[in-house]
Amino acid sequence: MPAISKDKASEHHDVAVIGAGLSGLAAALRLAMFGKKVILLEKHYVVGGLNSFYAKKGVKFDVGLHALTNYPSPQSGKSSPLLKLCRQLRISLDSLNLLPQSHSRITFGSENLLFNNNFDFFLSQVEDKFPKERDRFQSLLAKMESFPAYSVDAEELSTRSILKESIGDPLLSEMLLCPTCYYGSARKNDIDFPTFIMLFDAIFRQGLARPEHGIRAILGPLTKRIKELGVIRRMNCGVETIKTEGGKVSGIVLESGETITSDQVISTCGAVETEALIDPPDCSNSPTIEGKFSIMESIFVFPGVPEDFGWDETVVFFNDSETFCYDEPDGLIDLRSGVVCMPDNYGEQVRDSAQKSKLRITHPANFDRWSELEQPTYESEKNLWEERILDNGMKYLKNGKEVIDSFRSKTTFRDTFTPRTIKKYTGHANGTLYGSPQKRRDGTTAFENLFLAGTDQGYVGIVGAMLGGIAVANNQILRPG
Amino acid sequence: MNKEKVRKIVLDIIAEIAPDEDFSDVKPEIRLRDQLDLDSMDFLDIVMELRKQHGIDVPEAEYRQLESLDSCADYLLPKFEAGAAA
Repeated sequence: MPAISKDKASEHHDVAVIGAGLSGLAAALRLAMFGKKVILLEKHYVVGGLNSFYAKKGVKFDVGLHALTNYPSPQSGKSSPLLKLCRQLRISLDSLNLLPQSHSRITFGSENLLFNNNFDFFLSQVEDKFPKERDRFQSLLAKMESFPAYSVDAEELSTRSILKESIGDPLLSEMLLCPTCYYGSARKNDIDFPTFIMLFDAIFRQGLARPEHGIRAILGPLTKRIKELGVIRRMNCGVETIKTEGGKVSGIVLESGETITSDQVISTCGAVETEALIDPPDCSNSPTIEGKFSIMESIFVFPGVPEDFGWDETVVFFNDSETFCYDEPDGLIDLRSGVVCMPDNYGEQVRDSAQKSKLRITHPANFDRWSELEQPTYESEKNLWEERILDNGMKYLKNGKEVIDSFRSKTTFRDTFTPRTIKKYTGHANGTLYGSPQKRRDGTTAFENLFLAGTDQGYVGIVGAMLGGIAVANNQILRPG
Repeated sequence: MNKEKVRKIVLDIIAEIAPDEDFSDVKPEIRLRDQLDLDSMDFLDIVMELRKQHGIDVPEAEYRQLESLDSCADYLLPKFEAGAAA
């Protein structure tokens, strides 16, 4: 009954949440759990933001989810933030049906480091491959443990300079930077030290897993709960401007022309993107720096399981040389390094005749270059690069060169997204994956009743995004007194 | 209302917040943090559930009154009684 929801929407709300990605959903749920009247505004017609889903030709795809990090492995005990997240949202860990990774690999030229969900195994890999670094690596771990990475005012030091001081062999430093940058750095060719520590813990100390039913296993229960708790959800509902008056938000004007009012506003659309909505424009504060890092990803669907080709790994982070470059490329895409993910190598392999599997390959890509292409050229470049990505990716998989022709002929469907696709569905300026390099962990802004949550808080990944939304709801809105 | 009931109410709230913990042997006189895996976010939730479910406000300065089931009972009983009388 749309008429009723429209009436409800035009009432005054306690909190308006902009964006139904993971941070917005988590914040809305926390607020509703404790009696706040919440309206959740989403521009797109599905929830999830960067971590959403779609189906094409009967095949279900996840957009962002390569891995749910922070897997509470037996070794990491109860320290995983994923457990905190489940408690805060009253979700049972079991309901996610997490399937752990088989094992994964970081490969630089001819050097490999393997890891699985047992941190001791990773330590033994570092020790085997870099025996001279043993003591220095242990001191680095000690330094990381004593650094207050999880605190809101943690100093955003350069990880590259810290690694340069701490580790003797530059190859080891580069190999540590590669997975951590890909899973969450908004900085050019570096990652800030607190984020590096959080991601190192999330990937190596805890581990990688995937809910059996992908991102839907998280989004489904969240949307159901917020609905039960009376959150008003408005889809296809873009925000035109955020009106401000005397240092406060006074109302949100929707693209439809309707105005929404609320005591407080949480915007999850990004710092730069939120600033662009402020009306009148805020000239007294310097604008947030725009992020530039974006990606292109090709997904190849094939019958059977990856093991049919001898591929038993879950994620492969690869780089063609000993030096890792994490930056916006000059051309459309940078093939020198990337990430391969085989989502079917989580948990036990299913071997029934109907089984279809996916191979996903991701590379840094240039938003401006993709954006300036006219539609027919855009499509043809996409197809051309899809082939190149596959050829190149095979270099990093077992027997890749031998099986490529057979793999190509078996591929039944492929799909590719570019930085332009990310911009279209997330609204992120420049199609960035991780937003601005300037983060605001506590979520406060120049306006007393406007808070930021999500990407530009700097808590990355699915778990980080949700905990970020929860932290803003708890600390800025719910905390008594 | 009595202290036994208050202890039960608090334990029920904790069981809702942390269903993965084992409550079979929680000692009322020992600090909850020393027996269960609870952090400051969990204590904030106890406070917020008390307010939501029972209309009881616990100011931030008095959170430490909730450190064990016994101290919860001592501190919260008068608040429950005041609420019932009102």
